[in-house]
Amino acid sequence: MKVHVDQDRCQGHTLCAMIAPQSFELSDIDGHSSPVDESVADGQEEQVREAVHSCPERAISIDE
Amino acid sequence: MTVENITDTDRKQPQFHFDRFAPEYRESFQSITEEMQSECPVAWTETYDGHWVAAGNKEVFELARCPHMSNDHDPNGTGSGYKGISIPPPPRAKGIRAGILEMDEPEHRELRAVLNPYLSPAAVNRWIPFVDEIVRASIDEKIESGRIDFVDELANITPAVLTLGMLGVPLNKWQIYNEPIHAAVYTHPEDPDYPRIAEMHRALGIDLLTNLAEIRQSPRPGMIHAVDSARVNGEPLPDMEILGMLSLLIGGGFDTTTALTAHSLEWLSENPAERENLSRDRDLLLNSATEEFLRYYCPAPGDGRTIAQDCEVAGTSFKEGDRVWLSWAMANRDPSVFQDPEEVILDRKGNRHYSFGLGIHRCIGSNMARMVFKRMLVAVLDRMPDYRCIPEETVHYDTIAIIQGMRHLPAEFTPGPRLGPGIEETLEKLQVVCDEQRLAEPVTANKHTAEI
Repeated sequence: MKVHVDQDRCQGHTLCAMIAPQSFELSDIDGHSSPVDESVADGQEEQVREAVHSCPERAISIDE
Repeated sequence: MTVENITDTDRKQPQFHFDRFAPEYRESFQSITEEMQSECPVAWTETYDGHWVAAGNKEVFELARCPHMSNDHDPNGTGSGYKGISIPPPPRAKGIRAGILEMDEPEHRELRAVLNPYLSPAAVNRWIPFVDEIVRASIDEKIESGRIDFVDELANITPAVLTLGMLGVPLNKWQIYNEPIHAAVYTHPEDPDYPRIAEMHRALGIDLLTNLAEIRQSPRPGMIHAVDSARVNGEPLPDMEILGMLSLLIGGGFDTTTALTAHSLEWLSENPAERENLSRDRDLLLNSATEEFLRYYCPAPGDGRTIAQDCEVAGTSFKEGDRVWLSWAMANRDPSVFQDPEEVILDRKGNRHYSFGLGIHRCIGSNMARMVFKRMLVAVLDRMPDYRCIPEETVHYDTIAIIQGMRHLPAEFTPGPRLGPGIEETLEKLQVVCDEQRLAEPVTANKHTAEI
């Protein structure tokens, strides 16, 4: 599974990192998110899907 | 019929009488929301000089992110002439812009960038031990008595003291700031108590200006220094704009988190089995429960905008200058996004609520709000696990037009032992910690967590 955070849409709500802390990291400066790795680690797929569904800005997309 | 032939009356459809300030809106919030979502979900209301109201989740999403929506407030009438985010304009401070919340790009972006390193998750987490001490001291003031007012004696204190710490205002000034901010939200301008509150507001303004002058003379870290040092297009901000920025930080930092905490504690008192689950499984549930309380009790229920260019969004034709109310609170109850939206479900999945707004104006204090809320909540669960709120003495705000909050939430519980000194002594100690460890510096300059 590949994951992408659209940097133009992300506004730093931080829900993705709350739900899938091993898959998303937040900027220290403004809290905007980026994937830890474009390829989702084994076993993290469900949490990443939940992060996609929880993003208020719909900034996260996955390629299964 | 061509577009040009459409009259204003034809365009402003459907019509729906919507009055956020009416007590009925609070009492019948769920049924009004359901009616608007099924029959509108974007409607024109004649109230407050006429404005649009967006109640549906999809419509709020599209409008909030539409590039033709303006937050601008131009009190001097030298630019857009727009009226910012308040519908109707607030009785006080009509002539002041509410900082970055009433700015558009690029000015908003420049100034937000100044504040971000004070309020990012990494910045806010440095303050956790500091917050825990305020919470501990507030609870210690009451723990032996078996009775506390969660609003006045806990949830009103902690966010206020933290906000002052972050601004660079002496912590022992918290009462000068706390009461007028809280009271101004729930006191109607025609209330006999209003002049007293207006007077307290003047005292707050004077103290803020005094701090600004001191910081200019002899800089100390914090968001006052940051805003004062900020440049837009190479120019410093006029004093009125600085005051607007600081008022936004104070207004945003205080009563909203108080409101969220009070409502959540009230709900947990009414649902003791859920409270036990939350306390026991907090590692699993605390985050999702926090988001669910945010969704359901949405402390800041909406924001106004102005249409900056004729456009069609979500099936409605908007004209330049139209005012629009984006209801985060109603969008959070839309059944097309949230299953059983009128239920509080502590482990809710896919909770993409809009309680911190959407788009570039996402609440800049959201990380602080979540952190302070969670620290207060777990302390209450640990130290007064059997608390019971007293419904007859609970006082909600009459209206939920600005903040969905509470004036009083008294509770009783089995008394317990004090763990340390009270608020006054604790704030003296925390002031030293704040100064010596330079906690109010941005995370870019200081990454160290407070050591108490």
